[in-house]
Amino acid sequence: MMKKIIIALMVLLLVSSVAFAGGAKESAASDDVTVVFVPKLTGNAFFEAANDGAQAYAEKHGFTVKYDGSPEASVANQVTVIDNAINSGADAVVVSSVDATGLDQIMKEAMSAGVKAVTWDSDVSGDARTVMVSQGTPDILGKMLVDMLADSIAERGKNPAKDAIKYVWHYSQATVADQNSWRVAGEAYIKEKYPNWVNVNPSNYYSEQDAEKAITIGEAILMANPDIDGIICNDSTALPGQAQAAQNLGLDKNDVSITGFAPPNSMKNYARADVLARWGLWDCQIQGALGCYLGYYLATGNDIRVGDKIDVPDIGVVEVFPNTVLDANAYTADDSGVVLLPERVVFTTSNMDNYNF
Amino acid sequence: MLNSKSITKRVFRWETFLILLLLIEVLVFGLINPRFLMPRVLLGSINNFMTISVVALFVTLVLVTGGIDIQSGAIVGLTSITIGVLWNDVGMNLYLALVIGLLVGTACGALSGFFVAYTEVQPMVVTLGGSFLYSGIALLITNFSATEAYKGISGFPEEFSQFVRGRIFGIIPHQLLIFLFLVIITYILLHRTKYGRYVFLCGVNKHAATYCGIRTKQIVMSTYVLSGLGAAIAGILLTAYLGTAKTDLGKEITLPVITAVVLGGTSNLGGTGGVIGTALAAFVIGILRFGLSLANVNTQYLDIPVGILLVLAVAIRFSGSNPTVQKFIGKLRRSKDLRKNN
Repeated sequence: MMKKIIIALMVLLLVSSVAFAGGAKESAASDDVTVVFVPKLTGNAFFEAANDGAQAYAEKHGFTVKYDGSPEASVANQVTVIDNAINSGADAVVVSSVDATGLDQIMKEAMSAGVKAVTWDSDVSGDARTVMVSQGTPDILGKMLVDMLADSIAERGKNPAKDAIKYVWHYSQATVADQNSWRVAGEAYIKEKYPNWVNVNPSNYYSEQDAEKAITIGEAILMANPDIDGIICNDSTALPGQAQAAQNLGLDKNDVSITGFAPPNSMKNYARADVLARWGLWDCQIQGALGCYLGYYLATGNDIRVGDKIDVPDIGVVEVFPNTVLDANAYTADDSGVVLLPERVVFTTSNMDNYNF
Repeated sequence: MLNSKSITKRVFRWETFLILLLLIEVLVFGLINPRFLMPRVLLGSINNFMTISVVALFVTLVLVTGGIDIQSGAIVGLTSITIGVLWNDVGMNLYLALVIGLLVGTACGALSGFFVAYTEVQPMVVTLGGSFLYSGIALLITNFSATEAYKGISGFPEEFSQFVRGRIFGIIPHQLLIFLFLVIITYILLHRTKYGRYVFLCGVNKHAATYCGIRTKQIVMSTYVLSGLGAAIAGILLTAYLGTAKTDLGKEITLPVITAVVLGGTSNLGGTGGVIGTALAAFVIGILRFGLSLANVNTQYLDIPVGILLVLAVAIRFSGSNPTVQKFIGKLRRSKDLRKNN
């Protein structure tokens, strides 16, 4: 008797979970090409925004994007998601990898199973995917950071080309590859274009992507260097923290120029309060859309070779560069390349409300 | 041990029920998506929940004594990075590094087990501290490596990764065979030896066991040593499977491991349970997640059915032995009999 009740309940549970599954299934059946779009983790503003961009683009251009990731960023979880994508017969996977090499095996398995492999935001090894959609080379992004600072300083009535401008860098930590590469490229650009600038702390300030620490460090920078002209925060946690620190100390964009990279929504209030004049980021919605389009492009029988120019509807013509544009020691092959996002955006009070991410 | 027979009977029934559940899953998911039934696909999915299954086998012993182990995820990562650094940066022979990795995991288990057994501190607190300690040490070890912490150490020899990734006849994953081997070992240890009976006794009534002359402290400590060893084995398998050694491997397995053990019929109060149930439950959960994912359910929602399954199954299981419920069932039966007689 008891056993029967148990079995009946379990069957009910299974059937209900299947019904739950069936609800999600409807949308997948309508299109031919399915691209599985894999974030590092779900529930993070950056990745959710990229997914919004990808979904809207896919709907407009007639293919299906399945956003699939785990709420916890881990290699094993991503391997499971990609493995499931292969097994469920997806046509392409578009992945932001949590690990530089940990997904190589599974991405190679995907390719040998005929699933097209694309990365975006964060790469795997060059031989484990066909193309990577990168936010920009270190040179482009380093120069952009310095130019934003120079523009803000000029607005305050100083002359960035002649005055002895004092500045520092404030970002996450010394071990992060991308942010450090931008700083190195930015420093080189400063040496060349603004030899009159002085970095008051060449060993940089680090706040380890900790929102509270970013404010504490931010206040320390401003109190230790009352005459500082500019702070470059090339980290999306450091920038709001630094702006909050300036606001706490009663400083605004006429006292010190703060700039860096962060999603617009996290900075709008500081910009409205005149704490900072401008900051930037790449449009991650376009990045998501472009990644998924390239997955779709490959899955519909097209080849991508280094040197190709691809006309992406609504986004523009993108060129496939060799992997060495990101890292001089990268793997090079004819069928493995990098596509750069066509543009990055500088946000000010006049355009920030056009972006919602 | 008057009711020992009824306990074994109930456990046996629970395991039959898990097998039944597994069959229903295969049937239902096979109907939804026929790809699910391809042997290569179905058996291949096992690779993705092997870490949890292996660790859960050994953690079963800890729960049988009435303890709990929430540090195994940290030991998986520590083992992985130890092997990576020894092989890549120290230049040690890989197989020697694997042995040292196993020793490190076992030692971690022994340290926590010592504190659980010889002090009156709650096992939950000790292993929580252990999880912070061991994952902290794992991060510390990366400082000896030329590879930056966020990258992971890769480039292991092909034979190492092939030993774990490989498939017999291109279908049966090696990991499944390794797992079956471990099931047999732990089954014999827990259910067919004197040691195993002592482990159960520690969970049923530690004081009674002590008065019977059993060295309960050593027995309790030994279960943590074994669960440390199990986590180290899982760390090696995961490192080989992913082809990368990283400090944070395994960080997400802690609660899934406990889920598999409890769903498998082992009481977190100690005294009852078994490794066969754990193994089956790990498969029930793994196949449920895989099947739903092939049925196009987004990965981030897969915790929902697993949560429902756990709460319902355990509630039903324990209500079966709840006197009020038994009385109620008895009453139902009696009234039915009455009606029949009328």
